[in-house]
Amino acid sequence: MVEMAPLQALEREYPLIDSNFRGFCASRHIFTVEDFLVHDLHALEAFAEQHYAPDKLKQGISQIFSIIDSQHRPWLHGLELLEDAEQNKCILSAGWESIDVLLQGGLREGHVTELVGPSSSGKTQVCLQAAAHVARNYSGTVMYFDSGNSFSPKRIAEFLSQSSDPANTQVNKTVQRVMRSIVCHSIFDIFTLLDLLHQLINNFKSQMGSRIRLLVIDSLSSLIAPVLGGGGTHGHALMVTAGFLLKELAHEHNLCILVTNHVVGGEGGVSKPALGESWKSTPHVRLLMSRYGATNGSSCVSILKHPYLATGKTMEIKII
Amino acid sequence: MTSAFSWIEVDETAKEALVRILTERPFVVLPPPLHRLPLRVGNVVEIVGPSPSAKTLILIQAAISCILPKEWKGVQYGGLERSVLFIDLDCRFDVLSLSKALKRRIHGANGVRSSMKGTENEYDKELFVECMKRFSYTRCYNSFEFLATLKTLHYRLQKEKDKQSSTVYMLMIDSIGAFYWMDRALPSSSSGSNSRKNLSLQTVAETVVKEIQRVLLVHPMLVLAAKSASFGDKQSKSEVIRNSGQRSDDKMLDSRGPRNLSHREYMPLAWQSFVSHRILLRASDGESKHQNHPTFSTEWLLPSVQFSDNFIVNDDGVVVIF
Repeated sequence: MVEMAPLQALEREYPLIDSNFRGFCASRHIFTVEDFLVHDLHALEAFAEQHYAPDKLKQGISQIFSIIDSQHRPWLHGLELLEDAEQNKCILSAGWESIDVLLQGGLREGHVTELVGPSSSGKTQVCLQAAAHVARNYSGTVMYFDSGNSFSPKRIAEFLSQSSDPANTQVNKTVQRVMRSIVCHSIFDIFTLLDLLHQLINNFKSQMGSRIRLLVIDSLSSLIAPVLGGGGTHGHALMVTAGFLLKELAHEHNLCILVTNHVVGGEGGVSKPALGESWKSTPHVRLLMSRYGATNGSSCVSILKHPYLATGKTMEIKII
Repeated sequence: MTSAFSWIEVDETAKEALVRILTERPFVVLPPPLHRLPLRVGNVVEIVGPSPSAKTLILIQAAISCILPKEWKGVQYGGLERSVLFIDLDCRFDVLSLSKALKRRIHGANGVRSSMKGTENEYDKELFVECMKRFSYTRCYNSFEFLATLKTLHYRLQKEKDKQSSTVYMLMIDSIGAFYWMDRALPSSSSGSNSRKNLSLQTVAETVVKEIQRVLLVHPMLVLAAKSASFGDKQSKSEVIRNSGQRSDDKMLDSRGPRNLSHREYMPLAWQSFVSHRILLRASDGESKHQNHPTFSTEWLLPSVQFSDNFIVNDDGVVVIF
């Protein structure tokens, strides 16, 4: 969250925020820029009128206005949005034909896509294949946040050799190149996750490191579920904060984000996603995965939510 | 002397005033499911519903009706030709959903003529560009950004006014309450002084309302706000009981019968009393699937109106069914 910057720290950049102005603000119980946000600045201006040197104070207040103006995201009109979407938000193939067909091309940069489903419905397999496929076919790196020790380089190598001619001597080279561009972090609690997400945003801002195309979090729900419950508000606040960090990363830095959410037993034996109502407003795209029939390795994937595609369409997915 | 007399003279009769208000602030009928009540600038409409219940889509459809012209090159579009400001707090808005729906509407209005000419996927690009330019968008990732956006909203409105003849008609917020949990966890009282105004769920909501009210005085607009609601969530119900200190609204809603028992109000009172119209969306029970599309029903909570509509969401957007 935004740190509370004391007004004093602003004086070097904005000389109008001098000790006189700060004294005036302190008399109105304003100490930080954030305090200004909940204050009625027009009432403050009226109050400044009664001061012995109102002009200087009013200049200070309009300075504060322009600082506040720089703290929100820019307004864009529809065409500018469309241009951003067309130029910066590519569609990445997920490496699964059925998912690509379902989503009309694949995973979209700028979107947070969620896979929800019971255990062994193939969520992790989809994540691993997507990581392998994106690392192989697109420039840039793949970040893989693993919370359950389920990241398997061996499986990724298998996926890579499946999609190319086994007789080809290039396979080994490809595997090595792909492995180098997948960065895996083991994460076991939400605080480490929040730290890493903040770090990623800062890296993007200072343009450090290589371009990240895809961020996979498998499984996100197992990081968040432990802090929920007990009726406290703090767990929900952590969850929503993580959600907004993901959406900021995805949209502002054109990242494709893929997360998984497991299901738990709910009331009356009906299973429900571990991250429920308050989480629902986070992902752009929600895909439901379920095991299909008795045959091994067959699953179903269907759209639960999408910004512009119809929901309910179902495709079969074969995991070999 | 005459100037003193003129001061107490009649400015206008009630009839004149009514005519002036009706021309200055005419009623508009928004696309379904908001079509039942005429709305006008100054109204604050809250669209409450669980996720998913087509809240954002309803906002987008209303925005399209606002940015489309009444008539363009001899074709009737029935729009208002005014601008829209869209503040995205959910940060899930996808511009493609707007552009697709807008193209569809333009195409639909041209329907008869273009199908005769056989130009199926043709739409008026010039009109499309004009309309998209009337749609302004920003997003906020936390309450600080939201407050900063609102505090400087008058700059933006002034800019719109200077730039083009069409002034802003609608302010949309999708969705209010997005930062509810984050704001509730804001650290209380960071310093010793008691009179310092802390950032909290309460003060954020109060400031949001105050800033919008101030903007509305100078730039009259119709405010449409989506709000997500959860139904039958045990945990959230206990939440209401624990925090219902100053919420008289809860009891009122609960007494409306068992159907409403699970609809809970969580926004602070400052926002609740700011809302002038409230419509509740809910997923219809059972297997009442209509041509494989999930159906939703509407209920006006404020003002309380008897009729209820059922609608489905398909490729054409929101369609009312009977």
